[in-house]
Amino acid sequence: MLKRRPPVILWMLAVVGVFAAISPLAYLIIRLGEYGAEKVIGQIFRVRSFELLTNSLVLTLMVGATAIILGSFQAWLATRTRIRGRAVYALLAALPLAMPSYITAYAFTALLPDFKGFWAAWIVLSLGTTPYVYLAVSAALVRSDSATEDVARSLGLGRLQVFKRVTWPSIRPAAVGGMMLSALYTLSDFGAVSILGFDTFTRAIYNAYRSSFDRSAAASLALILVLLTLLLLVIEPILRGPSVPTDSRSKKTSHVQLGGWSFFAHAAVIGWATLGILIPVVSLIRWNLAGLSSVNFDEVLRALVNSIGYALGGGAITAIFGLAISVLAVRHASKLSAVAIRMIWLTHAVPGIVVALSLVFLSNQLLPSIYQTSLLVLIAYLILFLPNAVVTMQTPIGQAPKALDEVAASLGATKTQILRRVVLPIATPGILAGAALVALSVLKELPATLLLRETGVETLATRLWGQTSVAAFAGAAPYALLLVVVAGIPAWWLNRQVRANINQQINLDERMERE
Amino acid sequence: MNKSLSRALKLGAAAIATVVAISGLTGCAKETTPATGEQTLTIYSGRSEELVAPLYEQFTEETGIAVEVRYAGSAELAAQILEEGDNVQADVFFSQDAGALGALTEAGAFKTLNSDITDLVEAKYRATDNSWVGVSGRSRVIAYNPELISEDELPASVLDLANPEWKGKVGIAPSNASFQSFVTALRVLKGEKVATEWLAAMKENAVLYEKNDQIIVAINDGKLATGLLNHYYLYELETELGATTVVAKLHWFESGDVGNLINVAGVGVLSDKPEAQTFAKWLLGKSAQSYFVDKTSEYSLTGLPAREWLPSLEEIGSPEIDLSALAPLAATLELIRQAGLTD
Repeated sequence: MLKRRPPVILWMLAVVGVFAAISPLAYLIIRLGEYGAEKVIGQIFRVRSFELLTNSLVLTLMVGATAIILGSFQAWLATRTRIRGRAVYALLAALPLAMPSYITAYAFTALLPDFKGFWAAWIVLSLGTTPYVYLAVSAALVRSDSATEDVARSLGLGRLQVFKRVTWPSIRPAAVGGMMLSALYTLSDFGAVSILGFDTFTRAIYNAYRSSFDRSAAASLALILVLLTLLLLVIEPILRGPSVPTDSRSKKTSHVQLGGWSFFAHAAVIGWATLGILIPVVSLIRWNLAGLSSVNFDEVLRALVNSIGYALGGGAITAIFGLAISVLAVRHASKLSAVAIRMIWLTHAVPGIVVALSLVFLSNQLLPSIYQTSLLVLIAYLILFLPNAVVTMQTPIGQAPKALDEVAASLGATKTQILRRVVLPIATPGILAGAALVALSVLKELPATLLLRETGVETLATRLWGQTSVAAFAGAAPYALLLVVVAGIPAWWLNRQVRANINQQINLDERMERE
Repeated sequence: MNKSLSRALKLGAAAIATVVAISGLTGCAKETTPATGEQTLTIYSGRSEELVAPLYEQFTEETGIAVEVRYAGSAELAAQILEEGDNVQADVFFSQDAGALGALTEAGAFKTLNSDITDLVEAKYRATDNSWVGVSGRSRVIAYNPELISEDELPASVLDLANPEWKGKVGIAPSNASFQSFVTALRVLKGEKVATEWLAAMKENAVLYEKNDQIIVAINDGKLATGLLNHYYLYELETELGATTVVAKLHWFESGDVGNLINVAGVGVLSDKPEAQTFAKWLLGKSAQSYFVDKTSEYSLTGLPAREWLPSLEEIGSPEIDLSALAPLAATLELIRQAGLTD
């Protein structure tokens, strides 16, 4: 069989995407170059840096571990068991994604003034990022074939052994991908940890700007986050394990009866949803009752239109580049494409403000005409959320059987035709899911939007920021509520998309049982 | 191969067209003041929209100069201006505090203000090289509840709060920027040793709060005797609860005490547009100055009388200090943290 080379267009898009993603590194290097090695080292090797680094690392590990355990459990519960209410539980698992972590943090502290410090940050960030794992693992579970599990069980393996030796290997890459998103989000988060009063490395970066107006000091600290990401990228393939091919044509899925254990499952899911959805929403509504009087509906509407515009634009652009990179990595795996896909992660732990300032600098040096236009804002979203798109798209793109390409090629289809008529139709739901996840993240994004938007353009998030910065919390409430409701739409849709196959499967099962 | 290459190019062109179309469509709904003249002025505003948007509208009405405003934190805007390099978009920068202005002065980003602007303001409230000028002032102050403590029991200096009899009687917000700027002033004026000792004593004596408005509420509710904050928080509480129900009062230390520190919001000009200087001058004119006095209860820096219940700037006697240095500097944050006042 001839080894087929990927279409040129894929490489073009992928190269542009990767270069965009790593462009903030160029800025960091320039800033550090001005600073001089001695000062960089002085800035980095301080006792306080190590304390903050420890804080950040412990928080990241705890949040990542929580996300991977709870997210995988929720996914398994919602796709592989017959627990009552699983469709509702699936939605409850996905919805916390719609809550920006700074809103969750604020909502908790408004109800419980003593909700502060490490444990508070751990809870809020775990709540916000567990859905990354849940969605990725659900997609993998729905697509993987449980016949192998049934065979394993019929050959005498216990349930735990089946999970360890059959199920886990098949969901492991997805789970680890989701956990990477969760961990790097935690490293780069500023909003939640500052509201909750937990000092992390990212807070130190913000302080370098705010208290010393020192961009080079901030850059040297940001570099540490890049190095940390590099370390995670080295560990990641080990955690991820070998990829397990599943035969996507067979869709037989058997569902586990939980029996006596279902009580614990109900308790866990309902408890988590209470923390992640019920409490913040109750707090938001209480907050709104205090502040609905002061709403200017024109302003709210303009902010809503701008938010949706940025979300759709950011989702579309990131999906285009993410698609190219995913197709290359999954269907044309080579050393080069493996390097490309890892490079897009490098800047994912760099805080939004640093990415934004790097784009201020780079665009003014290279392309002043795009500075403070929506195009630059969309480029920022591309840089910030490319990994989110790629994690979501990889599983569904991998699903289109390679044999189909070969058949199409033997019938005389060109490479682009294969891409357009075979791969894309099969992967479309996955591509849309990637776009939806990015759109959702764009809606919640604040620091880059604030710095890069066209002068005079306000979004729901920037309005929310403007209102809270003068302690006019009542005025902020409607923006917060609207933001959560709007972001809830892609979150709901993502969950539906992920579960589309399972619902068909269940219908089929039930019909077969009846007949 | 050629056929597939041309297809690839078409697909690529389509993708780029999509990107351009999307970016053209997004961000259409902009907020600008209605322009009556030709000129527009770009303002980078570290002061929040809630506070100053009506003021900018008034500027457009009075001068016919339309404005485009970019709101963000003062420090972030200062960093943004520095990164813009030779392509600075802002004509003027209206900052919440003097520290951010000082950072831009140091980088040589400002144009010199015309002397008919700087002459309006006392020398200690503007940059020595006239690169920026203070617009409105706010004073550090000790608030107290007269039902818990009488005014003559209050100390002459903020440093006296270190004495053991103040244990549990004074509230501070150590993570608040205005408290941190005050500690910077303490370091600059009295030295590291005094500042360190004072902070250590406050670790013993002070009740810690996250925000200034929580301190004033606690004092007003009778849960706390005194607290250190900016003077306008009392006024904010009065607008919220009604002046008659507020029992908390303000007290100033002895004239010249570091506890009476006055910090300013100020403006600097970044472009050669004459309208930029017009804007700076307008902020020091009657309409803008009375806006700050009436709406935010801040001090006018051009001599308009403060609100009736406030002492004048002269009576307060702010300590002599270079306001550009008044950032919550890294060394200050470190000192506060080492004292155990922040995590």
